[in-house]
Amino acid sequence: MKNGFRQSMAWLHTWSGLLAGWLLFAVFLTGTASYYRDEISLWMRPELQLAPVAPAGAAERGLARLRALSPLADEWLLDLPDSRQPILTVMARGDGKAAPRFLREYLDPASGLPIRARETYGGDFLYYFHFDLQTPNPWGRLVVGLAAMFMLVGIVSGVITHRRIFRDFFTFRSGRGQRSWLDAHNAMGVLALPYHLMITYSGLVTLMVLYMPWGIDAAYPEGRAAFNDALFGEPPPQQRSGRPADLAALEPLFAAAARHWQGDLPGRLIVTNPGDAEASILLRRGDEARLSYAAEVLVFQGASGRLLEAGAPAGAAEATRGVLYGLHLGRFADPLLRALFFLSGLAGSGMVATGLLLWVVKRRPDPGQGPAGFGHRLVERLNVGVLAGLPIAIAAHFWSNRLLPLELTPALGGRGEWEGGCFFLAWLAMLLHGFARPPAAGWREQLWLSAGLFALLPLLNALTTDRHLGNSLFRGDWALAGFDLVMLASGLLLALLARKAERIAAKRGANS
Amino acid sequence: MTSLAFALAYAGFLALALARPRHWAQFRTGRELGKGKAMILRLGGWALLAASLLPCLAVEAWGLGLVLWLGLLTAAALLLVFLLPYRPRLAGLLAGLLPPLGLLALVAG
Repeated sequence: MKNGFRQSMAWLHTWSGLLAGWLLFAVFLTGTASYYRDEISLWMRPELQLAPVAPAGAAERGLARLRALSPLADEWLLDLPDSRQPILTVMARGDGKAAPRFLREYLDPASGLPIRARETYGGDFLYYFHFDLQTPNPWGRLVVGLAAMFMLVGIVSGVITHRRIFRDFFTFRSGRGQRSWLDAHNAMGVLALPYHLMITYSGLVTLMVLYMPWGIDAAYPEGRAAFNDALFGEPPPQQRSGRPADLAALEPLFAAAARHWQGDLPGRLIVTNPGDAEASILLRRGDEARLSYAAEVLVFQGASGRLLEAGAPAGAAEATRGVLYGLHLGRFADPLLRALFFLSGLAGSGMVATGLLLWVVKRRPDPGQGPAGFGHRLVERLNVGVLAGLPIAIAAHFWSNRLLPLELTPALGGRGEWEGGCFFLAWLAMLLHGFARPPAAGWREQLWLSAGLFALLPLLNALTTDRHLGNSLFRGDWALAGFDLVMLASGLLLALLARKAERIAAKRGANS
Repeated sequence: MTSLAFALAYAGFLALALARPRHWAQFRTGRELGKGKAMILRLGGWALLAASLLPCLAVEAWGLGLVLWLGLLTAAALLLVFLLPYRPRLAGLLAGLLPPLGLLALVAG
């Protein structure tokens, strides 16, 4: 290529951004929302009022429930409640004959009985969409991973192309059309650059076993299960002895864990061969008090409660991956740091959005030069349906949680699926609207619609439940109050964007 | 502690911005930005940015402290860059107001 290096990078930046931009916007926006996945789940289950409970007692009640549901299971798993979410999740895996192959229940940790709340996926819908697009494994993950690789290319090529990165560090000129879009794109990219590099690279690392499996397969020719056991510290499965035996009390095990982990609590409990003399109990350290996501486990003899092994400290590679994984999930973050991550995620979403908008503005033909080509018209209308349409889809998802009947007849399928369906239907409608309407009208209508949907959501909440903003502020229920407040703020922000869109359209109309 | 770090970071970024003629002009003081003044602003700005790391390390260990610091730098820079073209006076005022507020929070908390 005859072009200089910088020009090649500019070409690369434009193409990688254009091809992956809409998908990246969706991944970034839903990923940013996922920082508050547990709080979204709490808002979407307003019937739930669970008080925090001592962890060992909660776990014992979980075991009692599992004993009642699936006494002959091969494995019982319990996900313990933590400071962000109060539900005790219990799962059982069996051979399909003596015990069901798989079952899962969501329990109240105080009673050990299933929670009574509307059926919903809560914040998990947006969280899973963020990395698998709600498609069967591995297709969505592969597509998102490919987009993330494009993102890395986009970031690096963008930094190289940005000639005056230091001189223009603080530059944002408003009201100057294409200049302003470029300045905004640069600002949101450069000022949060450490975050963008971290989140993109760490995102790829979380699914690295999927994207680059060949080294692992070469090192573990006997199969992936051996690798997983080594990585997750699970003991090799032992055969049942056939001699029944009760499990030891959990309280001393939790105390031993606290001694090993500087007072930290277990996040997950796995009982292998429950009810048998060869049972074992594995405690996996929770993820709130540490940066690394690498597994830290303690394995106890099930019947006696004797400590069998305290998992070896992670090697360098596993520790590195653990830290990167932990950084991506951000579960270690306190409220302030989580808010800073959220802000940076919004900046990233804005960076992708302004990039796509800049592409359109830059290539718009001058008034005398005739209509724009097919590609330009396609991108311009797709921008409306994706950049303005996705927030509408998210809002519609939340609206559906409050408006769908609490009980759906079984013939209609799961209520959670219907909430997800509303997300996709709303987005499809907005994509079609974006193609049907002239762009200026499309932007105006969709931005005002999304502003309204977000701003009115707390009102809908007040009309359909008693967990409204006044109530949650009064009780210091910051998860629900925060959700409603962020909805109001989002509505305000979108209204400002709608006004801006109208002003830009008016200026263009006056000029042409 | 973190509010002090944020205040120092914001003041540092403002100083670095002011060291550039383009942004100095946004304040319309009528006075000129001399080479000496620019040098002082630049040195002071970098010093304030470096200083903003210290409260972060006081609150968290090194790894998390760096993460917190980078997050605060991003927030301070975003605030400044998007405030500067619309409300340069306010942007300047914040640089004066935030550090005392940060110290107050430190002493009170």
